[in-house]
Amino acid sequence: MIIMVLRCLKDKTMTKKIFDEKVKILQNVKVNQKYYKLAFASPLLAQKAVPGQFLQIKIGEGNDPYLRRPFSYYRTSGNKVEILYEILGRGTRMLSEKKAGETLKVMGPLGKGFTLTPKGKKRVLVAGGVGVPPLVFLAERHAAAYLLIGTKSKAEVMPKSELKNAKAKILYSTEDGSYGVKGRVTALLEKILKKEDPGKIFIQTCGPKKMMEAVIAIARKYGIDGEASWDENMACGVGACLGCMVETRSGRMRACADGPVFPFKELVIP
Amino acid sequence: MKVDLTTRIKGLTFKNPITVASGTFGTTDEYGRYVDYKKLGAIITKTITVKPREGNPMPRICETTAGMLNAIGLQNKGLEDFIIHKIPYFKKIGTPLIVSVAGETVQEFAELARVFEKHRDVVSALEVNLSCPNVEAGGVNFMKKQERILEAIKAVRQRTSLTVFAKLSPELGDVLEIAGKVLGEGADGISVTNTLRGMAVDIDSRRSKLAKDFGGLSGPAIKPVALRYVYQVKKEFKVPVIASGGISDVDDALEFLIVGADLLAVGTANFVEPRATLEILEGIKRFCAKQGIKKLDELRGSYRPCGDSKKGCHR
Repeated sequence: MIIMVLRCLKDKTMTKKIFDEKVKILQNVKVNQKYYKLAFASPLLAQKAVPGQFLQIKIGEGNDPYLRRPFSYYRTSGNKVEILYEILGRGTRMLSEKKAGETLKVMGPLGKGFTLTPKGKKRVLVAGGVGVPPLVFLAERHAAAYLLIGTKSKAEVMPKSELKNAKAKILYSTEDGSYGVKGRVTALLEKILKKEDPGKIFIQTCGPKKMMEAVIAIARKYGIDGEASWDENMACGVGACLGCMVETRSGRMRACADGPVFPFKELVIP
Repeated sequence: MKVDLTTRIKGLTFKNPITVASGTFGTTDEYGRYVDYKKLGAIITKTITVKPREGNPMPRICETTAGMLNAIGLQNKGLEDFIIHKIPYFKKIGTPLIVSVAGETVQEFAELARVFEKHRDVVSALEVNLSCPNVEAGGVNFMKKQERILEAIKAVRQRTSLTVFAKLSPELGDVLEIAGKVLGEGADGISVTNTLRGMAVDIDSRRSKLAKDFGGLSGPAIKPVALRYVYQVKKEFKVPVIASGGISDVDDALEFLIVGADLLAVGTANFVEPRATLEILEGIKRFCAKQGIKKLDELRGSYRPCGDSKKGCHR
């Protein structure tokens, strides 16, 4: 295994090390009709990662596809890192064809993750579609009151075995009603907020933008604080290209380096 | 074997030919945790404009075959911020600094040149960005009017004795013709090529994959085009040339050197491999050592043209 330790970045709040490693794939399997799970071993990429952070993966060796692709951490345990992904284009298709034993170049942990200890608050995690992995990771690390998972249909619902370590009450919604409550995950959220004291709730969300916008609108209505993992198309993943800017109250910020997790009160929703 | 990589351009000395293409290496130390900036031959900044610019809406980038389109739109904090907050950093680093500048008017080009002239202790040269595909005033559409390009270069030349490179792309018209004219107005060298305008369409929504119809194409996809322009400009005018356009690995870098490039600006490759510059630099040293090349200038411009021979290149 080639290990390259990159120089330390001195941040105001923390000292963050980023590593770039060639890793060997341990497992790359389909977990349901839509998602694949890929695992590799890397102590450096595993041990300091926080839920909400991401990895930049170079899929092939040549010039096409060229850019690395960002994937959020789905889980780490010991030296093992897992990501969960969906085939969205050529790069992820190529990734899905990789076999155990093949290698990938992986850089991480990147970006700022979720707040792990919102003081004295009950967390409600709201996940939609591709936003499920980081919130499962978060619920495994730190107990939450609820993990709400919204998908289009049952086909995307994760197998129970993938969620067995999540320390939260898991509720499902599907748009077509094929699993859990029929409708959007935001309806589930409102239902919960009606019976809880909003002052004691902290929402953490990741998913399609329309869903997160709706979650933030609800949070604002109830005066609830929270965080959203907000991303845009990325090239470099390290804050240089300015491709992934997010509108915030302090101006445009880089999703890759200043986020991807931003406080609700910072985000400017169009 | 020690290889002499020294690159000299009109009184400037660079310890090696490796630099970074404007806009791909941040404005100050974004790559500082990956690359020791002191090891680079030069640093070319992201384009600085007089006023701060917030750039275009998202999505600003999308991947294409062997490259990417960007429509960032020259986002930067402006001249004043650069002078106050960025210049001290580069002064400390000491690596030759080439500042990329763009104005929306001829007056702004003049202003940028006037201000950087006062920072000669830190700034080695200006790269005048005449070919950004993603902005209106000052961008390729505006600059297509050739007199505007020439006025911009003239204005810069009048206000600074710093080395001036004009950054061109075929989007402006015939590269050789424009290169000849800007050199006539006093530019010292040519930087070629900027991105080429391209499109990418989402087949479901039938909209652009970017928030604009067009973006600038960069990466390996444009390398053969860039190589050809570097070769032609070098051959035609024998002036200093900063080469950019898809330089991704050592072989790419060597090709550009062989056709005569003075500086090699690694661009989009930084986004893929943050250490691409230093890896290419090491690769050049290895290649020269293996080939028994003691000075890079022995390799530079050593291309063997096909000529008019009816037998073709390879006989």
